[in-house]
Amino acid sequence: MDEKEQEKNNPNQVSGKEKFNFEKFHDKYYKLLLIIPLILILISLFYISYTYSKIGDFIYKDVSLSGGTTITIQGDVDQSIIEKALAEKFEGISITRLTDLRTGEQVGLIIESSSSVEELRLELEKILGYKLTDENSSIEFTGSTLSDDFYKQLITALLISFILMSIVIFILFRTFVPSVAVIFAVFADIVMPLALLNYLEFKISAAGIAAFLMLVGYSVDTDILLTSRVLKNQQGSLNHRIYRSFKTGMLMTLTALAAVLPAFFFVTGLPDSFRQIFLILALGLLADILNTWITNVGIIKWYCKKKGIA
Amino acid sequence: MKLTIRLWILIFALVLAFLSIAPWKYFDDGVLITSVEPNSTTFSEGLRQGQIINSINGEEINSIEDYSNSINKLFPTVEKTKITIGTDEGESILFANTPPEIVVSSMPKSRIKTGLDLSGGSKALVKAKDRDLSSEELSDLISITSNRINVYGISDIQISPVTDLSGNNYMSIEIAGATPKDLEDLLSQQGKFEAKIGNDTVFIGGDKDIQDICRNDATCSGIRSCNQASDGTYFCTFDFTIYLSSESAQRHAEVTGKLETDPLNPGYLSKKLDLYLDDRLVDSLLISQGLKGSATTQIQIQGSGQGATNEDAFKDAETSMKHLQTILITGSLPYQLEIVKLDTISPSLGKEFLENIIVLGLTVFIIISVILFIKYRKVKITLAVILTMFSEAFITLGVAALFSWNLDAPAIAGIIAGMGTGVNDQIIIIDEAVSSGSEGIKQRIKRALFIIFGAFFTIVAAMLPLLWAGAGLLKGFALTTILSVSVGILVTRPAFADMIKKSSEQQ
Repeated sequence: MDEKEQEKNNPNQVSGKEKFNFEKFHDKYYKLLLIIPLILILISLFYISYTYSKIGDFIYKDVSLSGGTTITIQGDVDQSIIEKALAEKFEGISITRLTDLRTGEQVGLIIESSSSVEELRLELEKILGYKLTDENSSIEFTGSTLSDDFYKQLITALLISFILMSIVIFILFRTFVPSVAVIFAVFADIVMPLALLNYLEFKISAAGIAAFLMLVGYSVDTDILLTSRVLKNQQGSLNHRIYRSFKTGMLMTLTALAAVLPAFFFVTGLPDSFRQIFLILALGLLADILNTWITNVGIIKWYCKKKGIA
Repeated sequence: MKLTIRLWILIFALVLAFLSIAPWKYFDDGVLITSVEPNSTTFSEGLRQGQIINSINGEEINSIEDYSNSINKLFPTVEKTKITIGTDEGESILFANTPPEIVVSSMPKSRIKTGLDLSGGSKALVKAKDRDLSSEELSDLISITSNRINVYGISDIQISPVTDLSGNNYMSIEIAGATPKDLEDLLSQQGKFEAKIGNDTVFIGGDKDIQDICRNDATCSGIRSCNQASDGTYFCTFDFTIYLSSESAQRHAEVTGKLETDPLNPGYLSKKLDLYLDDRLVDSLLISQGLKGSATTQIQIQGSGQGATNEDAFKDAETSMKHLQTILITGSLPYQLEIVKLDTISPSLGKEFLENIIVLGLTVFIIISVILFIKYRKVKITLAVILTMFSEAFITLGVAALFSWNLDAPAIAGIIAGMGTGVNDQIIIIDEAVSSGSEGIKQRIKRALFIIFGAFFTIVAAMLPLLWAGAGLLKGFALTTILSVSVGILVTRPAFADMIKKSSEQQ
């Protein structure tokens, strides 16, 4: 993005030929540039439907959405021994390490399984040779009746959230094309990270879906910034207004990323719900850079040129 | 710089948040009593849940370690020894040869409450197996469960009804701090209710013995009369009818047939009808003389409530009646319970999480500050943004402390993510303020506020459905996010806009 920032021209401070060239280039090819996000969205949608045909669902669900047990054993327990011993008796076991933030030492082991609490606990106690109490372990269980319902409701909530957001956008701008451009950008912000998570077979928890809801509101502010600067404040040329929004918007996205990235980069000793929320927000923000500054800019520029808004 | 009204509002909100969070509690000494075994000498000597122990036998108690050291030094003994416990509400003197029957915990560091995933504890979500509960059934279930849990003397517990988007009713039980082993047993079994006269069981809970209990029907249940006693206080009497099966009526006849009239209390029989909940005595009722040997299937239960005023007495009677009715229906739930979610988080893991989250919060704070300083290279502006960002998080925590919300991990994630959007809004304001153009600063700030309000309404709209979806488990996340953006829009953003306006006017 740096390159782009350097190259993009601010006509108020015209200097250098290259900058001029970028503006010309953008004027000529902005419609064509739309193809990049469009292809990515199509690939994403295709991959999500592929996931659906493969596992019967749009996402990989973790035990909080599919039902099952999570046991966290505290202490430096050898992961490979447990993995080997459990793999023989349980299907679909997944084990992750929990490490301390500062020292990097292992503080625990998270074991997820679709089995019941008792089965998993007894087997673990056999392997470990000691009893699991509420002092040395944490146990989370979600019954399948709850998790199914839970999942359906969260997906409904996501749809409602998206619709409410769209209504707010329409009320704000009261013009069809610019509003649809914003909504489409948000839609892409959801679809792209989701496809990537599916590709990584990342298991999404209830908190993860909640993060998608938040993403709906979180990623939209740069789009609002762009649209209102382009349409409501007609000082300076169209390109100038777009460029100014870009400068402000990139700083906004950067600080927002600064708020969510640390959690996902160097912290593992955090509750899973916490990590999921930040991971999904981070991916969404990255997708938002593309979708605001190529997708949304492309559509709104096209619209302005057609309507003669300069 | 002259302070504007908006800046005063910000200062006022910060002071309120400070008072509500009460950070000075960090320096409080002593240990907190979280539960006292009912019917124990400790209880009768005046020790209660919520008191703070400061000393034992004159020795100062500052921490849990101090407390267990002193108790271990004193007990167990063969002879009963005197122990003087000093609390914030006075001294209690016990004579005992075993430790006092209380559970203590360290003093809370502030009024901010953390959720179970961060403080440790158990949480269960319960529903009826294979059927939907009506809201009346749910409230009965909650009363019954509360009664039973009180019988066990477990404190620091929250039982609440939960309704979700598709109209399912759940009962949520949260036990903070210690994790009682028997929560699961407690829930997986029906409560056991028994009514005994002496050692003979007359009837037990469940619809086999008790066929019906008259409730909410004035013809066979209600508060009958209220009177003033000779000492000036008031008392009200209530009665309600229960319907027994013919077998238990027969048993009642046999057992009461053997009883004499009580010489000290004529009009009543010599033994009482004792009510047991999970094998613990919860109430004793006098049996009227007229019932001796009678095989009646309709029994009228009577009782009374007292109070300083007529109204108090009426309320007391009403509470007692409801309490007795709930005990009697224990064991007669027409459905089985299913635990749909049961989480037990170890307190030490929760503590680890909390520490990491605090480090993370600080890291985010520092990184954002550095980015802004690099961008603006002005100490004044950077400080204003940092102050605003801090205020937002602090006021949000203050409101959470004020309403005693339990902040769980997603809720704190909401606050940290909120810091990100908050800063975004400040950036828009600064950007408009420093932008060149013919318009005045007021006009430009106004335009910034349009974008900010737009972003505010979209994020609120987006989070709103989460308040109801998914059995309320993600309510905390939605609440803190909505709260922190609202604090931003109502308090900190206007104040920040004023700060920027002032500083650009000065230039």
